[in-house]
Amino acid sequence: MSPPDAVSRLITLLASLMLVLQLLLVVQRMLITNIRLFALQSVLLAAIATVVAVAYDAWHVLVIAGLTLIGKVGILPWQLTRLVRRIKIDQEIHPLVNMPASMLICGALTLLAYVVARPFTSLTRLGSNTLAVALTLLLTGFFLMINRRKAITQVLALLTTENGVMLAAIALTTYGIPLVVEIGIFLDVIVAVMVLGILVFRIRESFSSMDVSKLNELKG
Amino acid sequence: MNSGLLAITLQTLLLLGLAPLVSGLIKNWKAKLQNRRGARVWQPYFDLLKFFRKDMVVSEHASWIFRAAPAVLFLSALTAGLLVPLATTQAPLGVFGGALALVGLLALGRFFLALGGLDPASAFGGMGSSREMTIAALAEPAMMLAIFTLATTAGSTSLDQIVQTGRAAGWGLADPSRVLALVAMFIVLLAETGRIPVDNPATHLELTMIHEAMLLEYSGRGLALMEWGASIKQLVLMALLANLFFPIGLAVAVTPASFTLGVAWFAAKLVVIAGVVVVVEFTNAKLRLFRVPDLLSAAFMLATLALVSTFLFK
Repeated sequence: MSPPDAVSRLITLLASLMLVLQLLLVVQRMLITNIRLFALQSVLLAAIATVVAVAYDAWHVLVIAGLTLIGKVGILPWQLTRLVRRIKIDQEIHPLVNMPASMLICGALTLLAYVVARPFTSLTRLGSNTLAVALTLLLTGFFLMINRRKAITQVLALLTTENGVMLAAIALTTYGIPLVVEIGIFLDVIVAVMVLGILVFRIRESFSSMDVSKLNELKG
Repeated sequence: MNSGLLAITLQTLLLLGLAPLVSGLIKNWKAKLQNRRGARVWQPYFDLLKFFRKDMVVSEHASWIFRAAPAVLFLSALTAGLLVPLATTQAPLGVFGGALALVGLLALGRFFLALGGLDPASAFGGMGSSREMTIAALAEPAMMLAIFTLATTAGSTSLDQIVQTGRAAGWGLADPSRVLALVAMFIVLLAETGRIPVDNPATHLELTMIHEAMLLEYSGRGLALMEWGASIKQLVLMALLANLFFPIGLAVAVTPASFTLGVAWFAAKLVVIAGVVVVVEFTNAKLRLFRVPDLLSAAFMLATLALVSTFLFK
């Protein structure tokens, strides 16, 4: 088989592994394992970016790969793990909807994403279902954000959503979004996580819990 | 006809001989990872020999089912093994049935295993049987869907056909639906062989055991057949995983040289799968029983998505 076909196969394979990790994130209950799964997913994103960069001579995509590796595999998981250990919270995630039901909902969301992405499958150059996977990450990321009570897990869901956006950017435009925008989004996310980290710490101090459903009353 | 008999004999010998070795290998590696020296790799053979030399003690309340269950379990696992291509692309009994017959035979074995646990009316046996059936009811659909994903691509539920289509596909093996089905199938393998996130094969702690609870009343020959049957079932499931998803290195022609090469490839794939199983067992804690459905529902969902995505991306 010709090399471009092999490349698109490889990208599709990596993207579907990202999808598998996302679905495992939905069923995984332990907070630290959740963070590790996210880091692994980011490694796959960086791998996809690298493959695209090498195969299509789009060298600035390599910068995206590097940034992903440094930020989402290195700094953010480390920061989040430290935060979890420092505030000594209960390691278990208590979702609003139980696991089998949320798995079913995520399955439905995945199918929705596949159906929506179907008209774009002519972009075979980057693997036929990369866009579908990106949309799935986006939708299930939102669902996870709604479904979980603790602030940290919501941050994690936000980050997987961002992974989806990144994947869509690489898959749809084939060369990624302009570098400035890319770096902008990236710093945004890092700063957001840092701010949220401090916020989580403050919430924890004043409410002695991280359950955001307790934040529905004004306190003087 | 003659070559058919030869193939059946060879595959039976392969199944009987290799199955305890795989169990021993997994036990040994697990011990090594836990900084223990562990039993030797071929210890299961000695165990089986010892059990066969001993008499079977049967409770006076037990009926014929208790005596029949080990034989049914053993033979159903062995027959199921003859339906799966191990070292050649052609399974010896491939003409008699495909994926559905295989799942049916495994279900028959499990049915008698559960009956054997219930029959002597010991408290643990019944508990083990009920747990085993609960898990099986969740794992079986996931396994069927994962195999059907491959069957739709191949256009047939015959395992030979699936393997041959897989061999022709080349790069097509990196299909997303296959990846999803592979992950689902792996979770099913862990559940069906009683590996750690679902069941702990090394425990006899009353509250946590599933498979061992059903074997508690068995001794001597019965226990030997039960254990041998269970390890054959494990080998069959591993062979499904190895040969349906990675159909590399299977012998096409039935010459001694190609057959040996096929066996070598098969052994290599088994070693890899056993290694992954050991790592999973080593790095995970056993799930609470009420959490097991979560894991299996994930497997079911992955397999469903795999099947649906084969239709969406023809």
